[in-house]
Amino acid sequence: MSEPFKVVGIRPQPARAAARPGPREVPVASLVLLGLILAGCLLAPVISAKDPGYLDLANCNAAPSREFLFGTDALGRDIFACIWQGGRISIAIGLLSTAISTAIAIVYGTVSGMAPRWLDTALMRLTEVFLSVPGLLIVLFLQAILGKAGVLSISIAIGVTSWYSIAKVVRIEVRRLRQSEYVVASRAMGGGFFHVLARHLAPNFVSSIMFMVVMNIRGAIGTESTLSFMGMGLPLEVISWGSMLSLAEKALMTGSWWIVLIPGAFLVTLLMCTTNIGNWLRKAMTPGESNL
Amino acid sequence: MTIQYLFKKALLFIGSVLLLSLLVFTISRLAPSDPLQSYYGEQVEKMTVEEKARARERLGLDASIPVQYLRWAGSALRGDFGLSYKYKQPVTAVISQRMGNTLILGGLGFVLTFVLALGLGTLCAWFEDRWPDRLICRVGTFSSCIPEFWLSLVLILVFSVTLRWLPTSGAYSIGKAGDLEDRAAHLVLPLTVVVLSHLWYYAYMVRNKLLEEVRSDYVLLLRAKGLPRGRILLGHCLRSILPSYLGLMAISVPHILGGTYIVETVFSYPGIGRLSYESARYADYNLLMVLCMMTGILVILCSILGQVLSEKIDPRIRAAQDTGEVAL
Repeated sequence: MSEPFKVVGIRPQPARAAARPGPREVPVASLVLLGLILAGCLLAPVISAKDPGYLDLANCNAAPSREFLFGTDALGRDIFACIWQGGRISIAIGLLSTAISTAIAIVYGTVSGMAPRWLDTALMRLTEVFLSVPGLLIVLFLQAILGKAGVLSISIAIGVTSWYSIAKVVRIEVRRLRQSEYVVASRAMGGGFFHVLARHLAPNFVSSIMFMVVMNIRGAIGTESTLSFMGMGLPLEVISWGSMLSLAEKALMTGSWWIVLIPGAFLVTLLMCTTNIGNWLRKAMTPGESNL
Repeated sequence: MTIQYLFKKALLFIGSVLLLSLLVFTISRLAPSDPLQSYYGEQVEKMTVEEKARARERLGLDASIPVQYLRWAGSALRGDFGLSYKYKQPVTAVISQRMGNTLILGGLGFVLTFVLALGLGTLCAWFEDRWPDRLICRVGTFSSCIPEFWLSLVLILVFSVTLRWLPTSGAYSIGKAGDLEDRAAHLVLPLTVVVLSHLWYYAYMVRNKLLEEVRSDYVLLLRAKGLPRGRILLGHCLRSILPSYLGLMAISVPHILGGTYIVETVFSYPGIGRLSYESARYADYNLLMVLCMMTGILVILCSILGQVLSEKIDPRIRAAQDTGEVAL
């Protein structure tokens, strides 16, 4: 009589889907598009021979044609020329205000992270209060102080109102790092605040805020366009994608779709590319295999 | 919940509100826009210097800022928030006329975002990394990149100007204030913008939380027990992330209400958001103060509520705070 069961050892498992792909694939399309937009903006005078500020009053609200590739706006400006010129300003504002907000966030977050508990709590409460003052009011106020609305004043206004979330992350990271022996050692040897920050803390938290910084650029460009659209940002004569769109509401009445859609499409494309690159930087990896 | 705990939270709340009122008050008075312009409109150009000075005195604007603040705080505590310069009506009356509109837009927007995000996030988690998930993620990321004002413009261009299906602005057509159908038609586009511009942020959050949850050991156990996938995902995983999702939603009430701000302006929808914009722009001090305090109190209350919720749900957070360790 043969054995009812035969011992054969562990059943070989079929190799489950060969591990996950390494870091996410590089967002090629976004990088290429972003590169094209950047190149276009840098080479603005080469691409379009027209002066973006020139008011061609004989051709207001002209539809896209061979002469005006993207049409003209209500003031008779050539939209094709304006796009590249305006892109310069929009991107510059994005970068400048992000630089400002990141600098504030790093210093504030580090101070809060290194501070004793009561000061830390107070500082974090304070950000909440700041957060609940309407950003609009702060922007109006700052613009008033800084004088006529310009690239610099609007960058400062946006930068000063958009550092809270980065500061929070910096603070959490610093609280995690501050007990590390190298930080304690450096402080014991008399390393000052900025020395410890630059040499020991920043290199460790820079990767965790990188994603947020890129997102901040995106946010700043979006805010600039919204503010300019609402008439609180750049004036019409300073060409940015936002100030071009401030003519859009009137364009709706006349049905001049190109004034609304073309600068907006560029804006959304830029924001989209930045987001994809930001997500790629975050390398949002889903950990391990699903059990479901 | 001890008395001490409640007391601490109450103190925190009062302190924050006081600080906020002081900040808004000072900032708004330092900004150079002229309140007389909002009071007298165009006429202000024709007024002489003496007339202006007398008007300032009458409105109590000649005193120094601290004195003005104390006067304001004193009457505000007695429930008197003053007159709106522009509307020449008590501030509370001006606001209450429009409060309903914003509550409808913001409230509906909040509920829709909340429910749709939960559904969409679960759908993505169900199809993790397969084409429906990828497609939704793509479209979602795209939708989160479109600035609210531009989305509004495009929707107006398509549905109102070109197709003529929906009205472009306002909360109701003239003389049809009570007509529900008319109000609904006016609500469609603003509501779409409010929901679309916030939806993906929360849906993505739900998706990622669920994907984390799906990797825990109890899911393996349930699978081994033979429970179908649907039951595990909806009955167990979704249930365990729900509390933290509720906490998040508590914090984001002001976020979504604030989203109505721009939408109201583009659609000329008579609500609080548009009123805030006008009052800040034209220095209608009394109105501005009340509006800022309302949103500010809401933000602070919600953030305290969110904190309490997450402490209740997850005692580790409170423990971490007590020892001064890393806390979110």
